[in-house]
Amino acid sequence: MTDPLGIVSRINTQAPGMSRPGQMPAGQDFKQELLDEMRKVNQMQQDATQATNDLLTGQRDDIEGVMIATQKADSAFRMLLALRNKVVDAYDEVRNIRV
Amino acid sequence: MFTSFDISTSALVANRTRLDAIAANIANADVPVDPKSRNPPFSEQVVYFAQGDPQSGNPHGVHVAAIQPRNDFRRAFEPWNPLADKDGYVRYPNIDPVVQQANAMLVTRNYDANLAAIEATKSMISSSLSIIS
Repeated sequence: MTDPLGIVSRINTQAPGMSRPGQMPAGQDFKQELLDEMRKVNQMQQDATQATNDLLTGQRDDIEGVMIATQKADSAFRMLLALRNKVVDAYDEVRNIRV
Repeated sequence: MFTSFDISTSALVANRTRLDAIAANIANADVPVDPKSRNPPFSEQVVYFAQGDPQSGNPHGVHVAAIQPRNDFRRAFEPWNPLADKDGYVRYPNIDPVVQQANAMLVTRNYDANLAAIEATKSMISSSLSIIS
């Protein structure tokens, strides 16, 4: 039986009249998750900016750490951007469904 | 996710510190020891690495555990030198510039290797993005 998401079995065991959302596993909703990630990426970008400023004003001298902070912020932002593109793609797919 | 960045960065910082010590060794190779100076005389600075990176808390990184002088001196017969002792000998730090150059090349290659590791991490991360796009 291939049912990795447990959708079929959940439908079968569902009692009639029971609301579907009550069956969903409890967890953070997607919006909250996305906002948390955006906050983290924003924090990394601010850290990178702060590190660059500190390097230029002579308050720190490890150029490697500054470069890596910048690179981390860049990579994290690219990941968030890829995720956002995927979500928008999914939204477009749903919107194009004819009813 | 970015731990390998931190590991490679700690190695970069450690290698740069080592190169600083080597530069000091080369620069001070011909500085005679002043017996009347109250500062300790310069001798070859040796850098010792140790496992773990206290800055990022990563146990897989590397950091400089200690920079210690080797306290090895050579004597040169220079009776005209005002710093000479009563037998006409002046003490210099026993630093071989050739060895220092070789160490500098070693450190540079090590730095490059860690840069290559960072590049590999970068390319892994950016190619993992192609999974969903």
